[in-house]
Amino acid sequence: MAATAKWQRWVPAVAVPAVVAVVVTGGAFAAGASADLPEKTAQQVLELAAQADVQTFSGTVEQTADLGLPDLSSVPGGSSSGASGGSSDGSGSGDASTDSTVSAALELLTGSHSARVYADGPTKARVQVLDQLAERDAIRNGSELWLYDSSDNTVVHSSIPADAGSGDGDGAGAPEASGTVQTPAELAQGFLDAVDPSTDVSLGADTEVAGRSAYDLVLTPRGSETLVGSVSIAVDSETGLPLSVEVLARGASTPAFSVAFSSLSLDTPSADLFDFTPPEGAAVTEKALPTDAGDGSGDHAAAPQGADAHPEPVVTGEGWNTIVALPVGADSADLTSSPLIAQLLTPVDGGQVLQTALVSVLLTDDGRVLAGAVPAEALQSAAAGQ
Amino acid sequence: MSLSETTPRAQGDLEQRRARRSVGFGFFLSELGLLFRRRRTWAMLGALAAVPILIAVAIRLTDGGDGRGPAFLDRITQNGLFVAMTALVVSIPLFLPLTVGVVAGDSIAGEASASTLRYLLVAPVGRIRLLLVKFAAAAVFCLAATVTVSLAGILIGVALFPVGPVTLLSGDTVSVAESLGRSLLIAVYVTVGLLGLSAIGLFISTLTDAPVGAMAATVVLSIVAQVLGQLSQTEWLHPWLFSYHWLDFADLLRQPIEWSSFGENALLQLAYVAVFGALAYARFSTKDILS
Amino acid sequence: MTGSAAGTEAPSVPRAEGSDAPGEEPGRDFDARAGSDMDGDPFATGDFAIRTRGLTKRFGRQTVVDGIDLAVPHGAVFGFLGPNGSGKTTTIRMLLGLATATSGDIAVLGESMPRSLGSVLPRVGALIEGPGFHPFLSGTANLRRLDAADGFAPSATRRARVERALARVGLSHAARKPVRAYSLGMKQRLGIANALLAPRELIVLDEPTNGLDPQGTREVRSLIRSLAADGATVFVSSHLLAEIEQMCTHAAVMSAGRLVAQGRLDELRAASGPPRLTVRTTAAALAPAAEVLRTLGLRPDPLAPTSGTGDAGGTAPAIGRKNVPEEAGMDTKMRPNEGGDTVLEAELAQGIAPEQVVASLVAAGVPVRGFTVEQPSLEDLFVSLTGEGFDVAQ
Repeated sequence: MAATAKWQRWVPAVAVPAVVAVVVTGGAFAAGASADLPEKTAQQVLELAAQADVQTFSGTVEQTADLGLPDLSSVPGGSSSGASGGSSDGSGSGDASTDSTVSAALELLTGSHSARVYADGPTKARVQVLDQLAERDAIRNGSELWLYDSSDNTVVHSSIPADAGSGDGDGAGAPEASGTVQTPAELAQGFLDAVDPSTDVSLGADTEVAGRSAYDLVLTPRGSETLVGSVSIAVDSETGLPLSVEVLARGASTPAFSVAFSSLSLDTPSADLFDFTPPEGAAVTEKALPTDAGDGSGDHAAAPQGADAHPEPVVTGEGWNTIVALPVGADSADLTSSPLIAQLLTPVDGGQVLQTALVSVLLTDDGRVLAGAVPAEALQSAAAGQ
Repeated sequence: MSLSETTPRAQGDLEQRRARRSVGFGFFLSELGLLFRRRRTWAMLGALAAVPILIAVAIRLTDGGDGRGPAFLDRITQNGLFVAMTALVVSIPLFLPLTVGVVAGDSIAGEASASTLRYLLVAPVGRIRLLLVKFAAAAVFCLAATVTVSLAGILIGVALFPVGPVTLLSGDTVSVAESLGRSLLIAVYVTVGLLGLSAIGLFISTLTDAPVGAMAATVVLSIVAQVLGQLSQTEWLHPWLFSYHWLDFADLLRQPIEWSSFGENALLQLAYVAVFGALAYARFSTKDILS
Repeated sequence: MTGSAAGTEAPSVPRAEGSDAPGEEPGRDFDARAGSDMDGDPFATGDFAIRTRGLTKRFGRQTVVDGIDLAVPHGAVFGFLGPNGSGKTTTIRMLLGLATATSGDIAVLGESMPRSLGSVLPRVGALIEGPGFHPFLSGTANLRRLDAADGFAPSATRRARVERALARVGLSHAARKPVRAYSLGMKQRLGIANALLAPRELIVLDEPTNGLDPQGTREVRSLIRSLAADGATVFVSSHLLAEIEQMCTHAAVMSAGRLVAQGRLDELRAASGPPRLTVRTTAAALAPAAEVLRTLGLRPDPLAPTSGTGDAGGTAPAIGRKNVPEEAGMDTKMRPNEGGDTVLEAELAQGIAPEQVVASLVAAGVPVRGFTVEQPSLEDLFVSLTGEGFDVAQ
């Protein structure tokens, strides 16, 4: 046994890392292996997605954002406090409170997040954003909506009007709570709804997401003005449920924003999951839902939450070049006074710009806020034109 | 061949010996005896036990806190069982790797510096067998260290604070019995998480005859890994760092339990153990023992 | 008796350093490779407890052991001599599989090493370059641990075997004490006890009397003799020549990584010269005494202080007081009297009985104050082969 030459003893030291590398890369290849699916046209896949009616599932969603924003997860008050949309001290208007609210929203737009999503019909859903050593939960059970944040042990309770339940088109009945991760279905719905002649719809190679074979629907804006290069949506070949959404900035090869199921089961989740009782010792806040409850679409811009009575936004442009403008309001002063936001802003002619890979936000000197998936220059000219 | 040439007397002696080498359970027990008869081992376990005790006493004396500090800290006053969780969060980045680095880094280099390595090898212990037993002993220490923190935390928590059903991260509440079961699971999780570092320490320990150097190098590596894990510039590297899943033990405190991190952690550590075990084998089996 | 049985196998002529022709080197290397590939190589099946062929160890560019051919017969008490740094310990480490040879073959107990390490080492007890124990464990615990490390050692008899080994080296009284409380000599004994944990066919002791007091040294010597009497081969390395001389049947001498002499002790002695007689008398009687010796055909050699020229049996007629260095190991044998005795020395030629010399001296009226006949020590040979003093060979 011991007569083997010295170099032979080093064989395992070379072989084992090689095997590990092969297993790792092999696993990566296997995950990306394309499935062999029946031929479909892009239109057929669009219809398949439109007909999707998956109301009951449980799965894990991974969201990765590389929007060019600094990583805020390490900023104090970022992920560790006040992370849910309406924190218990929502009345506070000081910098710290604004910061924590804003940073919570921004934090979801940076780095990676994973969330578990459970849904059982249109009125029962639970989203768990899995933070390190903490968790943000949003539970909807019938007309009850609970938000729980484990980092500060706070609960927000709301009652949903009875007629609001079936409003969502697709079956992903996740609670319309900000501060949570969207499912691919929710995000995809926004893009799919917006498919119009300004969008080129094509089909990529068949793919596999969360162990399910899927068609790869690629939406490419025809115009050259938008920052969005393409959106690729993996549509489950069986149910039509969007399994992943990847948004690429123009000219980029890696997604600036992606949401994908990493695991998905179509079984009915345990009913216990939707039963939520505020834990003992938690601070519970009752909160009425704003009447114009969010439309659940793919608007993932960093809109601050919890402010009452938003001024009506003005929408200009169409398709991918849509620009949303908020008239003069109190919010922007709050925003610019927040050191966190101030850090992200670049002064330009006529205001300050928050530039991300996909979305630009212009805070004009006269207090308006303009946002859109277009370059800052487009916002500037739009602001000047109004 | 050899037996035919030995003298009849020696042959008789040989018949008293085992026909086959034992797997080494006896030697493993002896190794554990060595580990746990050291004052150093008990000092380290004592220091680890002091972490939850200090936390609990400080919280008790100051009557809570202002919400800052490590995770779970603000839960302690409501439920003493959270002392163990807080202590783990505090211990995982430094104290646990420190003690594991001492034990793993000392494993071979310590024997070399005590001049006992050559006697073990001519006993003969077999170099592979020695590596396996040393690694197993380091793994036992990882478990002992983790359980020490948890147990001391639970005990001091019960002594100083009210104890009741435990609120999980998801906001759901479980019974005390189930929370103890989950504490045990967490201890296993953290132990598994430290195995990769143990293998690295074992490998470094075969590189030198100076145990202090091997210990320091192991501990420094654990810190470097965590620093790299904090930098966004090295994000591509993060999932491959042995410390990547260390704090994910909290996934066992969700409802339902998120097992994926347990599995990923185990696979990651297995890869580290395999790679550094192979390196340690290669290095140690070709090493000239001159100490 | 053991020595004589195996003695026929030993190379009969001590080999001088110069006999290693440099031209042999390439051929030897070739042999080494061929030997390790062939299982039936007679080299490994010889009647030797230890045999090496062309054993070489290099650390970087430095050759520490340079092509040595050791041959240790079964049952021998084999002294392995050499100054510090001559490569003894490195050789022992290679024999025991702790270090790998750069080239050359090793056979221990008839099996090729390090290939058969697992089956050979349980039959070998060893003390290598000083004892090594965990200071916080007791002597018993340390030995039990080392015994447990040997996967072949039966655990059922462990306790008894440890006790017996401790008793054999006289450590029973300190068995429960932590080793940190042991003196250097006690640790050394514990190290020897470790070598005796199981019945061994070969016992390798590297500097076994280091740190021992004279009493302990004597005990170790008698222990080695008793081990040899049990049939074990004992391989003792030492830099102390007298020690080897007193207990060994065979010896080999290392110098600067080379094996400069090897053989049975009496053969080595023969090479170092005939027995010497020493006459102690008054200064006045020096001349008559020398005359008597000359008449007997001896060449009296009035002692000069040992000069270390390496000129063994030198005949330079100089008169002086014998100045015996302590470290030469002859302290118990001879020392000048305070009374001002003069010492006369001569080689005892073949065919002349010592009593005949005494009778002649007395008859000639020489006041014989002392008379000794000494087998020549190996010291002269040793010194001539290895050099002397602090210029440790590197």
